[in-house]
Amino acid sequence: MSTERKNFIGHLADWITWPRFIFAATMIFFLTSILFPFYWMVSSSFKTRAEIGGREPVYIPSAIRLDAYDELFNPDNPSYQKFGLNIINTLKVSIPTAIIAVILAIFGSYAIARLRFKGKNALLNGILLVYLFPGVLLIIPLFAMLAQIGDRLGFDVQDNLGVLIFTYLAQTIPVALYMLTNYFRTIPDEIEQAALIDGCSRLGVIWRVTLPLSIPALVSVSIYTFMIAWNEFLYALVFLNDHAMFTMPIKINTIFNDPSPRPHVVMAASTIMTIPIVLLFLALERYLTEGLTAGGVKG
Amino acid sequence: MSLLTKQRWNSSRAREARLAWSLISPTALIVFGLIIFPAIFSIWVSFHDVGLHNLNDVFHAPFVGFENYSKVFNDFAFKFQDVQNWGAAVTSVVYSFASTILTIAVGLIASLLLNRPFRGRGLTRAIFLFPYVAPIVSVAFVWKWILDPRPSGVLNDILMRLGLIDAPQAYLATRGLALALVIFIQAWRYFPFAMLMILARLQAIDNTLYEAAEVDGANTIQKFKHITLAELRYVLGAIFLLRLMWTFNKFDDIYLLTGGGFGTRVLPVLTYQFSFQMFDFGRGAATAMILLMIVAVFMAFYVAIVMKKVEE
Repeated sequence: MSTERKNFIGHLADWITWPRFIFAATMIFFLTSILFPFYWMVSSSFKTRAEIGGREPVYIPSAIRLDAYDELFNPDNPSYQKFGLNIINTLKVSIPTAIIAVILAIFGSYAIARLRFKGKNALLNGILLVYLFPGVLLIIPLFAMLAQIGDRLGFDVQDNLGVLIFTYLAQTIPVALYMLTNYFRTIPDEIEQAALIDGCSRLGVIWRVTLPLSIPALVSVSIYTFMIAWNEFLYALVFLNDHAMFTMPIKINTIFNDPSPRPHVVMAASTIMTIPIVLLFLALERYLTEGLTAGGVKG
Repeated sequence: MSLLTKQRWNSSRAREARLAWSLISPTALIVFGLIIFPAIFSIWVSFHDVGLHNLNDVFHAPFVGFENYSKVFNDFAFKFQDVQNWGAAVTSVVYSFASTILTIAVGLIASLLLNRPFRGRGLTRAIFLFPYVAPIVSVAFVWKWILDPRPSGVLNDILMRLGLIDAPQAYLATRGLALALVIFIQAWRYFPFAMLMILARLQAIDNTLYEAAEVDGANTIQKFKHITLAELRYVLGAIFLLRLMWTFNKFDDIYLLTGGGFGTRVLPVLTYQFSFQMFDFGRGAATAMILLMIVAVFMAFYVAIVMKKVEE
């Protein structure tokens, strides 16, 4: 009795068919092209200046070296970048943006989704169209306008994180409104009607019925509005001049354009900025993907 | 107040409308004050001579008619001159159409990959979203670092090892190649958006259509062409218009990758350069208005086709 003993190659040869081969090859191609840049970002951030500036690229760092991070965070480093300050600035802008945008959008979306009033559709379509407006179009008049207002009221337009939050609201509210309106529409009206009959006020209904049912949507809208502010580049570039006020994207741009190139430091800063976002998506993928198709990440 | 108007004022319908407006007014105020008013104001700026010198007194800026527009149209950076120098207008159109088409093609392939069940599909789908959700600054700089002109650049190293090039190349500083690479990076970054939209539609296709086609003896290619593509036609059109508009408006990607040099200067970058490098806000606003007019054509298509269809 002789059973044919197949080795690994033999099994593979049996398993493989043309469709499977094409599937596997395309999948490998996609995964490598997607992941390699991220691997390169993280691995470059752990290299020394000698490794990063050598004749040939170092594909696998010899050890995890924190030279680049030292430059970002250690005050004793000769080219200390005060990156901690930039992280705090970014948080100072993105957290209030997310909170204000979500609160305003809750009321606005509820009105659009539930209440009858004249001009509702025009309003919603108008807000959606506005979302297709070029950012560069608005920055010139906003800059001129806010400079005027600032002059009268006595605040600076430049290097003012409050002003930046204000302009970010214009970019986040339309999308927050759109996503929440869509979600509120999926909540059965009967539940709210029952609460209204029981003598709840409209605001009471929003607080006790609608919001508790919308927690997944609220989480995902908060994350998206947070992300828009976290990533924003153009407005921060125009409105911030003082290094102490820079948000992360502007700081990274500055380090990159430094006369002495230090790619490992740029990559370390980029890694710090990217990791939280990527982790959020890995953890909450199911809740977040829907928001992406609704335009949660503009662009 | 007469009895009739009082009744109307107190009717439940009127109370509902009042509540709606009070709920929505903060949002409406912000949208109006920060988007609609500035957009209209931008038209005004484009007809006036506004620079850094009179920014604090902008409402008294001198009226210059169409001078800003004629300056833009005659600028070497804007108009098409020859095959070597496309100018921002033509570059913008080529760049947006090419990136959009490539993005959709890649997105379609990715969605077909993820549409069939396999182990680890959820994780793979999350990984496929990385390029889209990662901050643009990080993504742009890592690509710049991969395409680094020194011999230590990864692409240079790989291509030299393979013997495809003899000397290191400055990829993003070569006319033509720079634009092609920027388009390629756009597709790399934005395909997940197309992928998700297509995937949602794919999963809604009625399976009996395929079974019926199989009974009729259709092969894989026929099934793809006559069922899959036919069912996707509408969503592909919607993605095309949406991405076209967003790509047309995009500033960060090209600014970070090439700074608008080497034949990659698009209208948003030109707007930025006029406004915040030359501080000629009037000319910048005129460029932005030209940009908006082109986008408005796409918008009209979008409203007429996509939004109307949604309402039905």
